[in-house]
Amino acid sequence: MTSIRLRINGAAVADEVPPRVSLADFLRERRNLTGTHLGCEHGVCGACTVLVDGEPARSCLMLAVACDERAVETIEGFAGDRVIATLRRTFHQHHALQCGYCTPAMLITARDLILRKRTGSEREIRDGLAGNICRCTGYTNIVAAIAEAAQEIGREAPNAQ
Amino acid sequence: MPNDQYGVGASLLRKEDDRHLHGRGQFVADIKLPGTMDVAFVRSPHAHARIRSISVPPAAHGRVFTAGHLPRVKPIRVISHSAGAKSPPWPPLATDKVRYVGEAIAACIAATRGEAEDIANTVSVDFETLDAVIDAPRDRRGSRHPVHEQWGDNLYIEHTLEGGDIDAAARTADIVVTREFRMQRQSGAPLETRGVLAYRDHRLDEVVIYASTQTPHTVRVALAELLDIEERRIRVVAPDVGGGFGPKARLYPEEIILAGLALQLDHPIRWIEDRGEHLLTTAHTRDHHYKVTAHADRQGRILGVDAEIVVDAGAYGLWPQGPFHEASMVARALPGPYTIPNYRARHCTVATNKTPLGPYRGVGRPGACFAIERLVDEIAREVGREPNEVRVLNLVRPGQMPFTTVGGLRLDSGDYPESVRLCAELLDVPAVRARQQRGEQDGRLIGIGFAAFAEQTAHGAAEFASRGASIIPGFESCTARVLTDGSVVLMVGIQSHGQGLETVLSQVAAEELGIDPARISVRHGDTESTAFGFGTFASRSMVMSGGAVARASRMLRDKLCRIGAHLLQCEVAEVRCADGVVSGPQGSVTIGEIAKVAHLRMDGLPQGVDPLLDATATYEPAISTGVFSYATHGAVVAVDPETGFVDLLDFAVAEDCGTMVNPMLVEGQIRGGVVQGIGTALYEEIPYDEAGQPLAGTLADYLLPGAAELPAIKIGHLHTPTPHTEYGMKGMGEGGAVAPPAAIANAVRDALASLDAEVNETPITPRRVLAAIRQAREVRR
Amino acid sequence: MKAPPVDYIRPRSLTEAVDLLAHASVEARVIAGGQSLLAMMNLRVASPRLLIDIARLPELLGVADHADTVSLGACVTHAAIEDGRVPDPSRGLMPRVASTLAYRAIRTCGTIGGSLALSDPAAEWPAVLAALDAEVVVYGSSGRRLLECTEFATGIFVTRLASAEIIESVRIPKRSAETRWGYLKLSRKAGEFANALAVVVADPAGEYYRAVSGAANGAPLVLADTSRLLAEGRRDPDALRGAIGRDLNRASDRHFDDFQRNLHSVASMRAVQQVLV
Repeated sequence: MTSIRLRINGAAVADEVPPRVSLADFLRERRNLTGTHLGCEHGVCGACTVLVDGEPARSCLMLAVACDERAVETIEGFAGDRVIATLRRTFHQHHALQCGYCTPAMLITARDLILRKRTGSEREIRDGLAGNICRCTGYTNIVAAIAEAAQEIGREAPNAQ
Repeated sequence: MPNDQYGVGASLLRKEDDRHLHGRGQFVADIKLPGTMDVAFVRSPHAHARIRSISVPPAAHGRVFTAGHLPRVKPIRVISHSAGAKSPPWPPLATDKVRYVGEAIAACIAATRGEAEDIANTVSVDFETLDAVIDAPRDRRGSRHPVHEQWGDNLYIEHTLEGGDIDAAARTADIVVTREFRMQRQSGAPLETRGVLAYRDHRLDEVVIYASTQTPHTVRVALAELLDIEERRIRVVAPDVGGGFGPKARLYPEEIILAGLALQLDHPIRWIEDRGEHLLTTAHTRDHHYKVTAHADRQGRILGVDAEIVVDAGAYGLWPQGPFHEASMVARALPGPYTIPNYRARHCTVATNKTPLGPYRGVGRPGACFAIERLVDEIAREVGREPNEVRVLNLVRPGQMPFTTVGGLRLDSGDYPESVRLCAELLDVPAVRARQQRGEQDGRLIGIGFAAFAEQTAHGAAEFASRGASIIPGFESCTARVLTDGSVVLMVGIQSHGQGLETVLSQVAAEELGIDPARISVRHGDTESTAFGFGTFASRSMVMSGGAVARASRMLRDKLCRIGAHLLQCEVAEVRCADGVVSGPQGSVTIGEIAKVAHLRMDGLPQGVDPLLDATATYEPAISTGVFSYATHGAVVAVDPETGFVDLLDFAVAEDCGTMVNPMLVEGQIRGGVVQGIGTALYEEIPYDEAGQPLAGTLADYLLPGAAELPAIKIGHLHTPTPHTEYGMKGMGEGGAVAPPAAIANAVRDALASLDAEVNETPITPRRVLAAIRQAREVRR
Repeated sequence: MKAPPVDYIRPRSLTEAVDLLAHASVEARVIAGGQSLLAMMNLRVASPRLLIDIARLPELLGVADHADTVSLGACVTHAAIEDGRVPDPSRGLMPRVASTLAYRAIRTCGTIGGSLALSDPAAEWPAVLAALDAEVVVYGSSGRRLLECTEFATGIFVTRLASAEIIESVRIPKRSAETRWGYLKLSRKAGEFANALAVVVADPAGEYYRAVSGAANGAPLVLADTSRLLAEGRRDPDALRGAIGRDLNRASDRHFDDFQRNLHSVASMRAVQQVLV
């Protein structure tokens, strides 16, 4: 067992974990944050995507012990986050989810695309979603939801990062 | 009358969304029970072998369970009433033999999955390997080591379907086109893999099984029989399920094993399938070989079709239907939505040392559509006409409905030629042709292709009986309940795993009861709290479950009106139920007030009316041969003749599913199905080597289409309500996946027309494209 | 699948990391981004007993912009290169390549040093750095060594890295403003490993021309004849195609089948054409 201290969704967490445990399993099994999902555990499907130190990362390909002193954000966080709130609304309006399994990771990836201004065209959005598999929706509505959210965020704060 | 805001026909936003958008969905792996132990399986590394012995090291004693530890568990066995059907017993944990790579041999239990895997790696099994049967066409009549020794051959079943006189047609035809077609083996690959969590509930004296399944009630039926306990002592719950698509509509060994172990061990146990296991052990799909000949006249009218169909069905039959329907579905669907008068289909279903085959969106229809639609295009080439002209020439016309095809399918209603026209319009064929003429700067070749089909949906007793099924999913049920405050609960036997049935069934009840869907809860997936039903598959839920909801809601409405009229002191004929109230000539009373009387103040009820507002209804459509949605799909591709790479530039669907209860959800199902069909067409396959080893073990090998590979999917609608269902609706969940392989193959053919190359195999990979170009060049020499 | 049991340690200096690696009594591996190593451990095709975490070592995160070269620490992530957050010696080639590598969430963790050390034949950086004539600086118990990227990988998952050595940085010569480059990654699905890779760099002012074929069943393949023709200023497609063919045929140890040879030939030609336009 190794001791780690990190921040999860803004709260300081101190815990012990065997080194072999992935960040995903640490979040799901130990911290009861089950909104982050596992679809492959080899980095392809994207269902496990969380933010580590503000950047999207595959929680299945990170060790919990390697997240010592880092800040992790999961779908259960983002309280007051304008981009996530807007995306939640546009995903709902555009029917951009069906079974919901890919959705938390899709939202986190979409938020990152919007913040990095990678949503200028349908092509750009689609390329940005390459790392997030959805098996249900066929992606059309997801792309539309992200485009609308990006436009709205862009209008609100055109110069903001 | 459709209620614009929330009744039938409204694109009501989904009630399911909130929990998923916040990561508060509850999938099997999310459910936490104190004391849960995790399971990892020892699985066969060989495709075909006898088990000589299993050695468990002393440190693992008490943690490893083999078949011998579950002596009372019976093997899975599909019952088929079809003549000549052979159905092998399938022990959930292997006993003397293993018959596919991945077959479960032992369950290992530990505090975490990782530790359970560590234990599994210490178990050693002594095998005597046998030859693997992996070539279904070649080995169907026998092999050195047949898959099931007592059979003498490797055939689950074979049959010939005939109509008209194919030999006469062959004699009179001017045009004969013969092709071989191949659909490679696939996985349904929902994003959530399977999973089972089982425990004993002592208070209720039952074993509870949470499973990522599409069919909880029938899983309970099976578990009761195989574990030899009464159904009242089993509860099966499908919580949130992350996609099913067919493979999760079957009983699996892991469900039986976990339930059996939960009874013995008296602590919760859990098995969450990892992706590698999923690609190995969850039902494989497609894997068809055909040789088909079409006979036509010089206009392109198809006079007859003669087909040989081989389905590679793997080592065992998945309960309840086994592999017995797949080949016969292909046979029945192969004549398509056409007026072909003469037909013969010799089909066989072959046992091989591969993962058992199961249903996947479309089942036999994508293969059937692939074959006939490619043939239509080739006939068109032979007679010098546009493929769509030949298509329309042969399509059943509205005036001919109902029309029973030579395959035995009773097409009920629709305007098939109009769907072809609409699809062509959506893709702007003239613009594509102009682009083809201009040529591409980068040397790629543009092509456009179409495929039409009719989809049998909500079929019931007659259809399943004709397939020899021992379980007939011919109805659905609903218990509708108004609670004392006027809110409503619908308890249904289907299981929503992404289709939005919690929303759309509320719309049906809202339509009948005049209550806002926001005041209606839908309970599904739990044998404890829902009426018996068969689950969600075969494009049946909207029609069957929607029909049951409508009937039960109407029963409630009638009772509400009776009580309401009594409270309003007027005649029943004078009241109506709408907008949350029952209103009469001199006032109105809310449904909540009526509900209070029915439960808390039954002294206010009229004579002859019992308390409670509870109604249970079943439903089956007026005909059980199915109501047929239909569509034409079109694809525009760019083929790189130097590399063989195929890019999909555009895709359109012109479809008709009758009345759409929620058009937004219908379009979601279409697009999702289309992308799965594109996966079949271009990306997805599980090859097997000579030793029976599957060669796609991760998502790095098994390619799933992503947003970057796809265009936006265009959709156009036609509306032909069917007279045989509530509101005129038809099922449509699978249709999207049926035609893309055919449309894309036809588009590739069109792109390579100048090279005279064609690809008649899915997925259409760069290797296959280049091989086709090379072969065409060699033929020309 | 879950990773097998393993111990974990995070040294505070490169020297400490090398020491741990040299004196480990069990199978020890360094881990940086972990994007390849953890996938392999999750699949149980790699089972080290000790992981030495070097991802945050300051010595491996340094970046230096010299007159003629840029030095990137081994733990610089693909995303940092993609975003232009580190100096670019390649006139846009490296950021472009980075953007095609796997997926963003992988790129934020995966490192250029990790990619070189693993030497997956289908990986991008080994081929690109070979095309840029970069050098690898490795650090071990006996100090630093410099190795040419063209000779760093010797086969599939095999490099000249000794058992207790760690890649410290990559040194890349800066290309002139006249530089033209071509890059083609052929894969069916965005982000997956390449079926064929081709990188061409043409720097007339620096008199430097190199064409490299990647995803070539082994170490990056320098296309010597092709590079020479480019240096000579040859532009006719037939001659270049012929040179590519000779270069690929010479690599008989790669055991290309016809499809693969054709793909590499087409990819290389198209990358060359990007330079000649």
